[in-house]
Amino acid sequence: MMSGYWGYYRTDGPKEVEDGIKTKSRRGTIGEKWWSKRWVAILESFKMGARLSRGRSYARKGQVISIDVKKGVVRSRVQGAQSKPYDIEIRFAQIAEGDWDRATEAMASKAVFAAKLLSGEMPADIEDAFTEAGTSLFPGKKDIKTKCTCPDWADPCKHIAAVYYLMAEKFDDDPFLIFELRGKTKEEIIEALRNRRISTLDEDDEVEAEDEVATYLNDIPLEGRLDEFWEFGGSMELVGPRPRPPEVANAILKRLGDAPFSIGDSNLASFLPRAYEVAGRAALDTAARSRYRDIGPDGSQDEDD
Amino acid sequence: MLPLTVPSSRGRQPIKSKPRPHSFSVPGEMLGEELAAIFGQTPSGIETITVRLPATKRGPLPSPWLVRDDTLLEQPSGLFPWSIETLTFDPYAALNLLLDLPVHPPHGIAFGSSLQFWILAARFSLEIVARGQFAPTVKDGSALWVPIIDEDDQNRLQMLSNDLPPSCLAFDGQSGSRRRSRSRWRDKDKLKPLQLVMSFINATVDALVRRSLIAEKIELKPSLSEQTSDKLPLQFLHALVNEDSLLEASIDELNAFSKKIQYWHTHLKPISPNSPFRTCFRLDAPSGQEEDGGIWQIRIFLQAKDDKSLLVPAEKVWKVRSDTATFLRRKIKNPQEILLADLGNASRISPQIEMCLQDARPSGIELGREEAYSFLRESAPLLEQNGFGVLLPSWWEKPGGRLGLKLRLIEPENEVDGDSPISRGLFGLKSIVNYDFEVALGDATLSEMEFRELIDLKVPLVRVRGEWVELPPDDIEAAIRFFEKKREEGRSEISLEEAIRLGLGAETIGGDLPVVKVEADGRIYDMLNRLSGKGEIEAVNVPTSFVGTLRDYQAKGLSWLSYLHNLGFGACLADDMGLGKTIELIAFLLHERAIEELSDPTLLICPMSVVGNWQRELERFGPSLKVMIHHGPDRLSEDDFEREAKHHDLVITTYATAQRDEDALSRISWHHVVLDEAQNIKNPAAKQTKAAKRLKAEQMIALTGTPVENHLSELWSIMDFLNPGYLGSAQRFHENFALPIEKYRDLDQAERLRRITQPFILRRLKSDPAIIRDLPDKVESRVYYYLTPEQASLYGAVVEDMLARIEYLEGIERRGLVLSALTKLKQICNHPALFLQDGSKLDGRSGKLTRLEEMLEEVIDGGDKALIFTQFAGMGVMLRHHIQEKLGREVLFLHGGTPKKKRDAMIRRFQSDGPNGPPIFILSLKAGGFGLNLTAANYVFHFDRWWNPAVENQATDRAFRIGQNKNVFVNKFVCMGTLEERIDKMIEDKKELAESVIGSGEAWLTELSSEELRDVLALSCEAIEK
Repeated sequence: MMSGYWGYYRTDGPKEVEDGIKTKSRRGTIGEKWWSKRWVAILESFKMGARLSRGRSYARKGQVISIDVKKGVVRSRVQGAQSKPYDIEIRFAQIAEGDWDRATEAMASKAVFAAKLLSGEMPADIEDAFTEAGTSLFPGKKDIKTKCTCPDWADPCKHIAAVYYLMAEKFDDDPFLIFELRGKTKEEIIEALRNRRISTLDEDDEVEAEDEVATYLNDIPLEGRLDEFWEFGGSMELVGPRPRPPEVANAILKRLGDAPFSIGDSNLASFLPRAYEVAGRAALDTAARSRYRDIGPDGSQDEDD
Repeated sequence: MLPLTVPSSRGRQPIKSKPRPHSFSVPGEMLGEELAAIFGQTPSGIETITVRLPATKRGPLPSPWLVRDDTLLEQPSGLFPWSIETLTFDPYAALNLLLDLPVHPPHGIAFGSSLQFWILAARFSLEIVARGQFAPTVKDGSALWVPIIDEDDQNRLQMLSNDLPPSCLAFDGQSGSRRRSRSRWRDKDKLKPLQLVMSFINATVDALVRRSLIAEKIELKPSLSEQTSDKLPLQFLHALVNEDSLLEASIDELNAFSKKIQYWHTHLKPISPNSPFRTCFRLDAPSGQEEDGGIWQIRIFLQAKDDKSLLVPAEKVWKVRSDTATFLRRKIKNPQEILLADLGNASRISPQIEMCLQDARPSGIELGREEAYSFLRESAPLLEQNGFGVLLPSWWEKPGGRLGLKLRLIEPENEVDGDSPISRGLFGLKSIVNYDFEVALGDATLSEMEFRELIDLKVPLVRVRGEWVELPPDDIEAAIRFFEKKREEGRSEISLEEAIRLGLGAETIGGDLPVVKVEADGRIYDMLNRLSGKGEIEAVNVPTSFVGTLRDYQAKGLSWLSYLHNLGFGACLADDMGLGKTIELIAFLLHERAIEELSDPTLLICPMSVVGNWQRELERFGPSLKVMIHHGPDRLSEDDFEREAKHHDLVITTYATAQRDEDALSRISWHHVVLDEAQNIKNPAAKQTKAAKRLKAEQMIALTGTPVENHLSELWSIMDFLNPGYLGSAQRFHENFALPIEKYRDLDQAERLRRITQPFILRRLKSDPAIIRDLPDKVESRVYYYLTPEQASLYGAVVEDMLARIEYLEGIERRGLVLSALTKLKQICNHPALFLQDGSKLDGRSGKLTRLEEMLEEVIDGGDKALIFTQFAGMGVMLRHHIQEKLGREVLFLHGGTPKKKRDAMIRRFQSDGPNGPPIFILSLKAGGFGLNLTAANYVFHFDRWWNPAVENQATDRAFRIGQNKNVFVNKFVCMGTLEERIDKMIEDKKELAESVIGSGEAWLTELSSEELRDVLALSCEAIEK
């Protein structure tokens, strides 16, 4: 670490961090999903000028040492040019309980909200539900109070911007985080939605628990299986491997959808179909060429002579 | 590591700290040579490893299947580390080897169960890759292809790993030079079979995909201009198609990259993996007759994974108040959230499901016709692939539910000569019929006018006379093209052969429109109806000359043969072994003789091993038939043969003789040519196949228990013998059927082939309920066979020697001599090596053993199990070893000296293990006579005879007793022209006396006079195989 003491006076670069948190994207925008982009847009609305791009490069370099999200508060440590990292706190205005109630009510009125959230996606019209309740899920400028121990007079500074960018990537994977910043954890939201959903129902279905215990062969130690040491079990025929072409071409790629990476203008997934085609054909050829060819058309195993 | 062991000398007790060489392991070098010689695979090296294997205090135990000396099979007292030499392969070579091996080895080679297991596992990987069920990912800094295991595959993998032979867990991954401490051994126990199998599947899927991409030099990368962006994704693509899968980047970058890839993969995660339910969508078509087509509906359910018929409507799920609910006695945690998350995932794939989500508690949605069509066509298959349940209306997947042609075959009117073959009821596949056609949509037939109206609607789903039908644009185009073409051509003709194919197989004719139905009236209608198995075939009376009775299904077989004969079609009778193909054919031959004055004889070609059986069965059931055997060095040559054959009803010859004497056989125009064990002509290129196909007859008949053993080309070959041209040329058959079915696993084409061949193949399985009802629970037959010349000369010598000495003996000495001679003769009939006690080779020296092998092969092919009884422990030892080697399956052997604990273990394995367990159990008659319950067997072979019906029945009853739910087939071997046949006949003749006179065994034989003895024992000339 050569920066050390001299680093204090130098303005051209922060001190290196060994295990810092880095953005996944090396270039271009940070945050892939619309809601993460929406989040970044808030930051960008602060008109920070050059601090913004410096914040972004901090995020990419890994200057952020830690991020800790608690209800409504993000605490972070960012390594700047000084030897000691700066402490950062970002506080978000909490949505009032009454507003939460109304927003949850609006969300519970359509299954799409819970369904999308639970499958890892922010529902497209989430904003409508909150607007209906007279509030907003995404914090506005005024809802955010930031603090940083750095000597920079500007607020937000580049350190805060770096944390902001990294948060955007966290949102990509977990849209519930935004709710947490505004005062409700994932569990609380799920429960609130469920309560709404069933609040209008009669109490007619009592549900009982039922225990079932299954033992598996796997749990028997090898010493206990001496009698059958050299044998194999009986369900092989049912497994009967049957190499065959897929029902729908590129089904896996279709299910995967776009990859979270682009190469130039093309999504990474767009380069893959050829691999499926070539490998699939080769496997079918191997099956057909196999010297004994005892993989019958119905999966039956025949003997050759 | 190839887990093959062979017996050798005993080892010493293992010393705990230092593994000793395993005394039954094959030296690596030897194993390598064998492997190279048999399978052409060369290992990369030899390594000594330490494996924990069963042993007693005295030393290691051999693997049980390969042991000649049964006494070596002791109960192991535990697992001990042994060092063994193994062959090493580079992983991809090992995979290739596994993929190249058959699960059941060729004759003369045995595979360890662990090798068989990994062969299957490798094929599983091959299937995964063929189906495209894999995706790229990052693991430990490497770019890898991983299998994507859906729910069904998961269940199959679980089953597969439950079957993992424990011996697969015996190796701890360390070579002998780097031994582990005892404590590490125990850690190894924790490696679960499923994990082991998964790690194998993971590694092999990556290897298969990667290697095929490397082999074709595939680069998954954008053109140069685009290579300016982020490095890691590019590196990733490169590392997926290269030997070196490592990505070069900092740990952070890799972690971040890997996290993103994982997140991407969440779309593939099987939905609700731990829940007993999955989310299921059902599309309901409108039921009413509304003018606008009515309302389509998707409904949402939870579907029980273990019983797909159990559905819980979403409405019920929304009523759950607690965290856990129980539906249909299955517990589910957080059912609402699981259902919601599933709906969220489904909505990504299906716009129709997305629409459902506008409700607070969605239970389904109404759709318009277009939306419903797009759900059926696009969403449903993707939802299904993602693991959702999808239930669609039955008409959607019904074959023939689409637009197609309906042909109407027209019976030629009595034309100029008024006596065409068809109007006489004699068809022949080459005769010509005319046809008309109509457009069919679903079950309805449309006029051209109606059809035009439907087209004008321009919707993909239409209702015709109350039934919904898909009407895709491509089909409409094809129909219009067809209309125009036919308008020019007018009325059309096809051969009856093609008409039958179309009528049964829904092929296409002149264009892309499938023929969905073939209609006909009059005789052609009757014929098609009967051929497709819908119409009853007229029963013919069992000829009075048939001695005995036919069971119902056998009488049907007779009628069927006669029906096809009348049409002029060849027939393949392919009933399971034991159901009586032989007597069906005998009845048919008698029937033919009864209805027509005939001069042409029938030719029967069969393997040598069953000639005797045919002879005896013909004598018994059809004594009026004049039978001539054409075989051996004394057989008649051309002119004499021709003259003589014409005076007989049936000429029996063997495949080898038929090929050699083709010229003589071709001189006769046969009534029938019958091939028994017709799989002998499965190879179209073989000389004996070609010779058989050149023979001329009014009708060809094939008898076989296994019409297809390995390849579809065998079926072609048999069909080409029966009805030349019906399945097209070998080349066309290969392209149309063999290739799509065997290579591409085309199930539709397989079904089509089944349909078009079904009229000519009558195959009844002993498991058919109708057959089970028709058969007695116990079916007893005798298996007749010849002695080999070696057996005959030994037999003759023993008889002569005894007769020469007996004159001078009396009393106990005389009885002793007779008994000892009896024993010797029985031994000779079993096998010369049993008599000579010289440990010589067994192959081809005993007619009895040859026939047993053939029959056991069919038993195993049919997935059945058999008991073999013999009185000679030595025979049991020999049989066990020989059959294991020949058939590659484990054989159990129980004799008087088997300790109880081991006996119980064998019985348990025989009774409980599935189809891959030991299928054959040899018992010495004494040991097997008492109390054992062996109902897993449905075949019983009495290899030699006790000549005491009570004792034999008692043995038979091991299989035939309470708990047996199949018919039991009992086979008793009888050597023609020897004491076996004579004594068998004596017992048959005086069954009522049996108990009192001969019930005590063989003692009564010693009381016979010398003359009587000579009659009973002497060899008649017909006993010998020529």
